[in-house]
Amino acid sequence: MARHYQHSFDSVHCVLSLLQGIRGTFCDWTECARLKTALLICVLLLGSSAIAGDPDGQSGEPVRTVTLRFVSWKADHPRAWDEAFARFAETRPHISIVRELAPHSSTAYHDLLTQKLKNRDATVDLFFMDIIWVPEFASAGWVRPLDDLFSPEEQANFLPAAMETGRYGGHVYGVPSRIDSGMLFYRADLLAKYGFTPPRTWPELIDQAEVIVGGERASQPALRGYSGQFKQYEGLVCSMMEFIGSAGGRLITADLQTSQLADPVNLAAVDFVREQIVGRIASRAVLTYQEPESVVPFIQGNAVFHRNWPYTWEVANDPKRSRIAGHVGVVPLPGMADRPPATALGGWLYAISPFSRHQREAWEFIEFLSSAPLQRHFALAAGIAPSRAAILQDERVLEANPHFRAQLAMFHGATARPRTPLYPAISNILQRYFSRALAYRDVNLVAEATQADIQINRLLDVGRSAR
Amino acid sequence: MTKSVAKAMSADHAAAWWMLAPALAFTLTLAVYPVIASFVLSLYRIILSMPALGEPFVGLENYGALLRDPTARQAFLVTAGFVALSTALELLLGLCIALVIHAQFPGRGWVRAAALIPWVIPTAVASQMWRYIFNDQYGLANLLLFGDRVAEYIPWFASPGIAFLIMVLADVWKTSSFAALLILAGLQLIPDELYEAARIDGANLWQRFWHITFPLLRPALLLALLFRTMDSFRVFDLAFVMTQGGPGDATQVLQLYGYKAMFTEGRMGYGSAVSVSVFLAIFFLSLLYIRAIGSRLLERNA
Repeated sequence: MARHYQHSFDSVHCVLSLLQGIRGTFCDWTECARLKTALLICVLLLGSSAIAGDPDGQSGEPVRTVTLRFVSWKADHPRAWDEAFARFAETRPHISIVRELAPHSSTAYHDLLTQKLKNRDATVDLFFMDIIWVPEFASAGWVRPLDDLFSPEEQANFLPAAMETGRYGGHVYGVPSRIDSGMLFYRADLLAKYGFTPPRTWPELIDQAEVIVGGERASQPALRGYSGQFKQYEGLVCSMMEFIGSAGGRLITADLQTSQLADPVNLAAVDFVREQIVGRIASRAVLTYQEPESVVPFIQGNAVFHRNWPYTWEVANDPKRSRIAGHVGVVPLPGMADRPPATALGGWLYAISPFSRHQREAWEFIEFLSSAPLQRHFALAAGIAPSRAAILQDERVLEANPHFRAQLAMFHGATARPRTPLYPAISNILQRYFSRALAYRDVNLVAEATQADIQINRLLDVGRSAR
Repeated sequence: MTKSVAKAMSADHAAAWWMLAPALAFTLTLAVYPVIASFVLSLYRIILSMPALGEPFVGLENYGALLRDPTARQAFLVTAGFVALSTALELLLGLCIALVIHAQFPGRGWVRAAALIPWVIPTAVASQMWRYIFNDQYGLANLLLFGDRVAEYIPWFASPGIAFLIMVLADVWKTSSFAALLILAGLQLIPDELYEAARIDGANLWQRFWHITFPLLRPALLLALLFRTMDSFRVFDLAFVMTQGGPGDATQVLQLYGYKAMFTEGRMGYGSAVSVSVFLAIFFLSLLYIRAIGSRLLERNA
């Protein structure tokens, strides 16, 4: 079978980029960030070509300029990134960086990036890789193994659990840019007013939420107990996996043999979310929320509790964006009854395309971005939790980000989503099942779970036949 | 004599083919080739993330799996419901718009142009606009219905049925004017004498519509029906931009399902089978319609 299909989809790819571009553009209005990036790129290009055009006086040889294309999302803190890029331009004037901005949503980003990689597109040199794509990319040959570049001594400087996210089949494919896992944010002022300490279990959280919402009803009728992400998308898998995990369940057995959604423990956890969370302490609107929408009620002061990724700390404490700056607390997610809590493992890795013509330069750039000084810079300027153990214990960093301690504790017990090359297909089945369970009031949970199990098991069978 | 005629004929023939060539090449590369390529792909099991599986030829296995796939079945039902509802509403509304802009009144040119505006807006932009209108936090729909005195607005897209209806509404808003355009062309073909004669015979407005306009408009209506059905069956961008299929697959149309199989899951063979079945469904529906339209036209000519 010729690989001609790779080319026949190019036109489709163009249209899709356009659609996703439109979606991205309208999703948030901070277009000036994109403009600034474009400007920065121009400046970088101009700067580097000026240097390249100048023959080096000493050696008499012209310096060859290399342009690296870096696929990433629009950063939450563009200024911190612009500064990092400028610093790199100072130290390595012969390498210029062009940022290609992909959609913020992980799935849309994935679809765009894999279009390029499956076409062996040499215009991608390095990219941010979601930790859930590692098995898929490694198996498909879409990411360059880093074993020869990333020395064991250097690897030892990173948190072992973070390093693990970039490994698959005995190779290392990515350098962790941060540590990331779901956390519980809460209104410290409201909890203090009612004499509560942060909840340790979900039932406790519900009780506190109901007392506080009831007590505040007269002065703040829009206040709800909880806000999280329950739209039919990748994040729904994270949210539901946390409830299932804290009830003691698993999506798929540890050996990746059998899907067990119809397991009574799992069914009970899903039913708990159906009955106790969505439509009770949280508005049914959470069924339409991804991360950016879900944080809005919280920072507007309309939610007591909020589940999100660690970057929320920055957002919620920014007085320009948030009405509750300075009144925010953060703790690990609650558990179910006496069980320890479960949190979804997230994160982004720096990775190199195997089709890049500048893999050495790409590695130089990754080394720079993941170096100790840069991780300190990102922690201080953007609140990104470092993946280097030493920086995570740095006093200045901890002073600026007191929540990193809770985050580290949480990160070590975090649950990874199923690590198989077929994860995208499994995720779509999980999303469909969870979304149906929450959105339809009269759904037959057992039947839906059994059907999803059958579909996932069929995929796992396909995966096994490859070995 | 005959020889030279034949020569001239064949020369004409050759010239005709040359003139047809660009259009033919265009159609072959952009319409026929992708369909054939998709069909060929759909006969293989290709999973991009598992090159170790190879790319075996599996015949119609993907189609068999598609028929047994409950997710695909639901996507088909959603698509069929969308086609039926949106096409019916678009024809009805299109007829009303066409009747209005066919009438003589000052400023008709402006009204005609204005009626076409929704159709000119790209679907992706229109979808985003409707998504904003029905947003639960700052949507116009909530503001108009409840003002700003309500503690909590309605989260429209959280309800499967309403999310589906919003998708229909956005399509009706956008493409009714296209149906109106086709129907207007039909209206303009009806000779004025017929109305004058009817008026002399004492027919009222309704009788004139029911006995003259409607029967003579039927070919135009069928044409509009054909175009709208074909077009709405391959709906993708509305769902992709507004809901991505949620909640609970209530807005997951076939093309979106095919997209996810191909571009998110890397299952090229299965995704192609989905697109080919959409193509086949549209193809047979069109054959049915064209047969109906053809016989109508013949009746009129006879």
